[in-house]
Amino acid sequence: MTKQNPMSKALVRRETIAGYAFMLPSLIFFLGFVVYPMIQCVYTSFFDATMNREDIFIGLANYKELFQDKTFLGALKNTVVIVIVSVPITCIFSLWVSSVIYDLKGFACSAFRCIFYLPVVTGSVAVAVVWKWMFNNYYGIFNYIGTSTGLIEQNINWLGDERFALGCIILILLTTSVGQPIVLYVSALNNVDQSLVEAAEVDGATKFQCFWKIKWPQIMPTTLYILVITTINSFQCFALIQLLTSGGPNHSTDTIMYYIYYNAFKLYRYGYGNAMGVVLAIMIALLSALQFKMAESK
Amino acid sequence: MKKRKIMALLMSFAMVCSLTACGGKDTGASQPEPAPAPADNTAAPDTSANQAEPAPADPAQAADITLWTYPVGNWGDSATVDALIANFNAAYPDIHVTVEYLDYTNGDDQINTAIEGNQAPDIVLEGPERLVANWGARGLMVDLADLWTDDAKAAIYDSVENACKSNDGIFYEYPLCMTAHTMAVNRDIFEAAGALQYLDEEKGTWTTENFQKAIQAVYDNGQQNVGAVYCSGQGGDQGTRALINNLYGGTFTNPEHTEYTANSPENIKALELLKGMDGINFDASIAGGDEVNMFCNGTFAVAFCWNATQEKNNAEQGNINFDVLPMAFPTESGDPQLCGGIWGFGIFDNGDQAKIDAAKTFIDFMANDEKQAVESVKASNFWPVKDLGNIYEGDELMSEYAKFIPYMGDYYQVVPGWAEARTAWWNMLQQIGSGTDVSAAVEEFVTTANTAAAK
Repeated sequence: MTKQNPMSKALVRRETIAGYAFMLPSLIFFLGFVVYPMIQCVYTSFFDATMNREDIFIGLANYKELFQDKTFLGALKNTVVIVIVSVPITCIFSLWVSSVIYDLKGFACSAFRCIFYLPVVTGSVAVAVVWKWMFNNYYGIFNYIGTSTGLIEQNINWLGDERFALGCIILILLTTSVGQPIVLYVSALNNVDQSLVEAAEVDGATKFQCFWKIKWPQIMPTTLYILVITTINSFQCFALIQLLTSGGPNHSTDTIMYYIYYNAFKLYRYGYGNAMGVVLAIMIALLSALQFKMAESK
Repeated sequence: MKKRKIMALLMSFAMVCSLTACGGKDTGASQPEPAPAPADNTAAPDTSANQAEPAPADPAQAADITLWTYPVGNWGDSATVDALIANFNAAYPDIHVTVEYLDYTNGDDQINTAIEGNQAPDIVLEGPERLVANWGARGLMVDLADLWTDDAKAAIYDSVENACKSNDGIFYEYPLCMTAHTMAVNRDIFEAAGALQYLDEEKGTWTTENFQKAIQAVYDNGQQNVGAVYCSGQGGDQGTRALINNLYGGTFTNPEHTEYTANSPENIKALELLKGMDGINFDASIAGGDEVNMFCNGTFAVAFCWNATQEKNNAEQGNINFDVLPMAFPTESGDPQLCGGIWGFGIFDNGDQAKIDAAKTFIDFMANDEKQAVESVKASNFWPVKDLGNIYEGDELMSEYAKFIPYMGDYYQVVPGWAEARTAWWNMLQQIGSGTDVSAAVEEFVTTANTAAAK
């Protein structure tokens, strides 16, 4: 056993202190704006909490009401549909696009990454306004193309008809969701050990075999990250709903996040809204854990 | 690895929780604190204002007060408000007014956050649905009975007076200005369709029967989308309520404003009529603002969400290239009851009597001073709540719309459960639009709204 130099011990201590000092501002922010609200959220969910009066402790009444609230159950169903549809499509589509573009030469690859990333950096209000115009019942471009080509006989009220509204929201969500996964996948694919791929090719492996046996395992951590982030984003779908449909028509686009907003900030039922937030957080946590577990088993 | 997993799960939990927890309230019974003076938009006393000699300083009146104003016409414009406050400071140099400008998207959240933080403004300029039915009902506002003198009560219109007090008679608002929301028709399209014969252009009224004939004539003339019962959200919902209530004389609430009455036979009949009319579409993809845009661009021949400001703003922006004809909503009796807007001042009870007194002085000056009241009202681009003569003499547009002010109906927006009822209203229209039986839909609306009112 070697004896540690007192000088190096002091150095380690100094570096540790410096490390914590650098972390401190973020830590304070994290504790104040994330951890504290989180604790408050759970705590308030056991109260009948509203504006300008003492909170009344009601135990689990908010949670009980939640699962008898038809609108919440409808919102839960819509949210699950959004997640089930958008998460796999986002992951598969972004993996496919990145597989295609990472082979391209520098400029083309960057150009495609830019194009797919544009909706991510564009403000959601601007995105929603453009899509609202495209879906317009009276002079939207989709109706124009549809009627011009004979695909549809008469204009469809895309956002005003409960048969189509949720589908339209999912479509818009997809366009704003694929940008980041594409960028991440392109980076991940660039980091795949090329010597292994070349060796496999020399041994006669097909492109699909190279991808499935060599690249896929190596990009698995990225896939896991994308799955978790996309799932959380899909669960938290709010801005598009607020800007385009306000949960309608007939609650067909209500999501849990929108319903939380409605209860907490329109009706000032903070306790009830927070109870929904807790339920949503538990759902996301469970699903994320499941995704981790599945990825680990692979 | 395990630690990392736990952290990741914790993060996802935190991301969701942090949104709703923003609304968490302080349960401590701390005393209210005086409102702070926001740094922006402090209107310094301006002795060069167009006023009489500056009044001598009165240390007893000295106070710093805050005014938060929603964009009620030019009361949302700092240059205009600074000029108004300069007039006030010429008369009351020791009262310093700091102004903060709100918008209708975030204003409520800003005020509610301020209330929660015991930092509510001293004065707020808005309407009875907030001042009386919301903050007043929660016990946050000062009783303005001493401003409502017998002279004031005699001068201010009865419908306005009723709107400014709670059901138990406490005045939470001192009114400044008002408007009546109308509908509008594209005169050019109506003329081309030969539908003008069904309108009384001079009085701006029409009967329910003539409304049906006119819409049919326009539709038969090739205008597929004559109008829309918009219902994607609450924006401009007063238009759909006024249309439905007026057609057969229905009401939205009872006269006491304690119960919703949208399930009356008159309202059901009106909804069934609209549902069956050619050219009228229940559209769940647009709200009032969209409808106005589509009226201005010629997509619709009528707009149910309209008022003088809409015409003024859209004309100034060059959005209208046809002759707009403002109309009252059609009725069987020919006596329309228009939905209106009433705006005025309320004072938050911040526990500082000196500030409350100063705030009352400010309100009295703005709304009652002989010269200032006209300027204050004109700044709103609306009409006075009492007879101040023709303050818009020479202004053709404002004079044209002034004829609708006497049609101002009951101001029912002070009914309890208003926030939930508004949402339930457009949900009800969406249901009807997608084929739900009208009686069943209105019954569900009334049940939801009355349950909210009873809470």
